[in-house]
Amino acid sequence: MNCPIETRHTEMLVSYTAGELDQETALMLERHFAVCPACRSTATEQSVVWKALDAWEIPPVSLDFDRRLYNRIDSGARPTWWERLTLSFRPMPLRQSVPLAATAGLLLMAGLLLHQPGPVVSFTAPPSHIVRADQVETTLDDLDLLRQFGPPNSAESVHPDAM
Amino acid sequence: MGVAAAATLDYDAELMLRVKQGDGTSFGVLLEKHRASVTHFVYRLVQEQAVAEELAQEVFLRVYRSRASYEPTAKFKTWLFRIATHLALNWIRDERHERGTERLDDVPADVPARQVSDRRPSVEDQLVYQVKLAEIRKAVAALPDKQRAAVLMHKYEEMEYAQIAKVLGCSESAVKSLLFRAYESLRARLAHMGRT
Repeated sequence: MNCPIETRHTEMLVSYTAGELDQETALMLERHFAVCPACRSTATEQSVVWKALDAWEIPPVSLDFDRRLYNRIDSGARPTWWERLTLSFRPMPLRQSVPLAATAGLLLMAGLLLHQPGPVVSFTAPPSHIVRADQVETTLDDLDLLRQFGPPNSAESVHPDAM
Repeated sequence: MGVAAAATLDYDAELMLRVKQGDGTSFGVLLEKHRASVTHFVYRLVQEQAVAEELAQEVFLRVYRSRASYEPTAKFKTWLFRIATHLALNWIRDERHERGTERLDDVPADVPARQVSDRRPSVEDQLVYQVKLAEIRKAVAALPDKQRAAVLMHKYEEMEYAQIAKVLGCSESAVKSLLFRAYESLRARLAHMGRT
């Protein structure tokens, strides 16, 4: 038999102590113990642990366990007027509210990025149609200059007789 | 899944399906059958009697409240212990966080007096037992949460690796590893009891 410790099958030693092994495997293991002090020692120690855990006695369940449980079931089945009233105002569980809040946040950010607001209208700014007189003169001078050096007027260029 | 199909799964699942159909008596049968094992399992995890009963009640309360959505996809006991483990480990985590210390190391006041069937225990016997019990409790409490739950299910509920794996939500090999490490720690802490 392969050594359970060497082959990392120590659960076999636990199963042996727990009496979970079939008779044939248990006998093979006992024959192995005769030649393997490590396994023998582990099995002995495991047996001590097993017996120690067996000795762990616990207090009996209270006699009114069922009565208290059924009271809780009954009280849960009939919500009080206050519970009914506050049910709709109760905060959502964190597990549900976090993804919803994250989604809402993303939608809000996307909305802000997509929405590009126009120029802010300022009622104190001077109206754009107010121009100064020197600006008008300069513009008229520029137009005269363009007329002198610019291309022929549109009437000449499109007249078929000129071609 | 119908009642007939569930019967091939396990009898408890069939009872639970009856509870789903409004049969309160079947819930009583399930409670009677699993009350002690659930309460004892939770007690060994949290090591406080009042808390263990409160949590065990919460387990059955949840079973009852989720009857409408119950589907027998696994053994009933696996489902039951999954709820119990979840509640108990959450309580331990909260308690540890709240107190900032390992309360489970303390010897609690609700240690039962030993019942010896063949003779009345002497004061000395009682003292020896109390010391031994305190040591066992401390050794179990010192185990990491999942190892502790795995050991308790393996030792006291005689659950198979596959079933423990389903309760703890891990693989069978992970359970073997958990148990190996847990028993190794227990051997290191308790093996001297065999020499005394």
